[in-house]
Amino acid sequence: MRPVIKASLHYLALAVVSVLWLIPVYAMVINGFKSDLEVSSTPVLVPPTQFSIGAYVSVFGSLAKPLLNSLIIVIPTSFIAAFLGAMGAYFFYTLSYSYSRFSSTLSDVLFSLIALATFIPYQATLIPLTRLIVDMGLLDTYAGIIFAMLIFYIPTGALLMSMFISVLPRSLVEAAKIDGTGDLKIFLKIVFPLSMPGFISTLIFIIIQSWNNFFIPLVLVTTPEMKLISVAVEAYTGGYGTLYNDTFAAAMLASIIPLAIFIFLGRYFIRGLIALGGGGKGV
Amino acid sequence: MVKVVAKNLSKVFKKGKVIALDNINITINNGERFGILGPSGAGKTTLMRSIAGLDVPSSGELYFDDKLVAGNGKLFVPPEDRRIGMVFQTWALYPNLTAFENIAFPLTNMKMSKEEIRKKVEEVAKILDISHVLSHYPRELSGGQQQRVSLARALVKQPSLLLLDEPFSNLDARMRDSARALVREVQNELGITLIIVSHDPADIFAIAERVGVLVKGKFAQIGNPDEIYNDPVSVEVASLIGEINELEGKLSNEGVIVSSFKFPPDTYRKDNPASEKIMIGVRPENVKLSKEVINDDSWIFVGKGKIKVVGYQGGLFRITVSPPDSEEEIVTYTDHRTNIGEEILVYVKKHSVMVFNQ
Repeated sequence: MRPVIKASLHYLALAVVSVLWLIPVYAMVINGFKSDLEVSSTPVLVPPTQFSIGAYVSVFGSLAKPLLNSLIIVIPTSFIAAFLGAMGAYFFYTLSYSYSRFSSTLSDVLFSLIALATFIPYQATLIPLTRLIVDMGLLDTYAGIIFAMLIFYIPTGALLMSMFISVLPRSLVEAAKIDGTGDLKIFLKIVFPLSMPGFISTLIFIIIQSWNNFFIPLVLVTTPEMKLISVAVEAYTGGYGTLYNDTFAAAMLASIIPLAIFIFLGRYFIRGLIALGGGGKGV
Repeated sequence: MVKVVAKNLSKVFKKGKVIALDNINITINNGERFGILGPSGAGKTTLMRSIAGLDVPSSGELYFDDKLVAGNGKLFVPPEDRRIGMVFQTWALYPNLTAFENIAFPLTNMKMSKEEIRKKVEEVAKILDISHVLSHYPRELSGGQQQRVSLARALVKQPSLLLLDEPFSNLDARMRDSARALVREVQNELGITLIIVSHDPADIFAIAERVGVLVKGKFAQIGNPDEIYNDPVSVEVASLIGEINELEGKLSNEGVIVSSFKFPPDTYRKDNPASEKIMIGVRPENVKLSKEVINDDSWIFVGKGKIKVVGYQGGLFRITVSPPDSEEEIVTYTDHRTNIGEEILVYVKKHSVMVFNQ
């Protein structure tokens, strides 16, 4: 096949995928700007004849607190999960390179358990998780939600970070050992700075995952004051009737933060993934 | 300033399927410069890593002076407590730290004031001539500078044992010479025990006063470099420590016959051939090619040869010559051009041919 045709086909395929991904985003953006009447009388993909910010004004008041709540939850959750995950990943790295056969077996077993933990659906842990949080007296508190999220996202962080850490040259860690350095210092001074692109990727991944997490806040929040954004948005699709322009505006507001993170930090996310593919040559 | 003793040291990988070290016994004396030479996969690096404490021998014991540091598959003294300085093949500089921070890194693990650390780093940087690049990151340094930063990091903590794992293999030829000289000088000044692992005989000749040739996890020969060069125990050892022509011959009354070449008894270095089929080894510098007859007792005529390959290597011609109608080849160097296909008289130096009975 001629290169021109091949390249054109590539771009065509990419264009199709991009359009598929963009259609819902486009619908969300334009319908949020429609008036109450127009949103129910015009097709969903037709842009509004008159831009109205009425829907945004009407939902913002009730979404401000959930947005703030989400930020309060997501920021510590993602940083703690990514950092502790990185520490855990380094621990497995040292175990797997250990001279003792017992520790390397232990590393494999524990690592498989962690991988397994990331595959467990939240729903399956509903009852024990709720009981745990209730017994700790943390139901309907920030600490409770953060703790519950950490249970799920620390293993995710460890799993992702272990991919980034395992490509670091082993001789660096060995050189540091010979220099008389303890593991914590090796991690903080050498391993962590060198896996920074991976850390940022992991962080972004966990921010987006925890921001969008619906089930944990749904179960562990009992008062409207503590509602997180994902649950608050869902409340706009009512059982008796739905104001579509309000729903779209709410969805838009809820997506702004993950979208902004992806737009501004996306290149770090991708750079981290590229460093991984290059066998750690990026460091 | 430490004596390293290995007793029946063995290391196996993959549940005994791969034997990296096979009953190694060696004593490396206090202040000695010891070289470990061997082909890839002979266990050089494993031995070095065992001494460093990065690998634990499967059996046998390893002592530093009289102290048992590892024995029977257990580690008694971890690497960080062995007072070792090590230069890795890849140098293993911390890419996120400057040259200064790299060199200072081992000192930050000791209880030492910042002022004292600065003084020590500057002192060692001055000796190694890297004072002007201390604020640079490793990626901003040339290969030679990186190597010296790595050496500085190994030396700054005043180790009692310095381990060099193929430290010069990433340097260009010119840098290599000065780096070797530098290592010797520094070792001489500090009087520390030094172990260098290399597959390049030039490293060994330049640095080591005693060398062990490791073949398949065992020391095939231990001795000073000249001794091993001139009296190797096997063809394999001979070829590891320098270029050599290996020829398979048959024993006759008049000497060893290799195709139409004949090596008479007064060419033998030491051993007399005992078996009928034997291997002989001749170093290229002990072969002379001439168009005319040489009337000199120290060169002995072995036969007429035909020139097969001529290569030019910076001032010298590398010539491959064969007995007519034969596949056997002898390589030597001359300073004048010869033509391919030319017939030439082949001489070898008296008492220079190594005889290996098979």
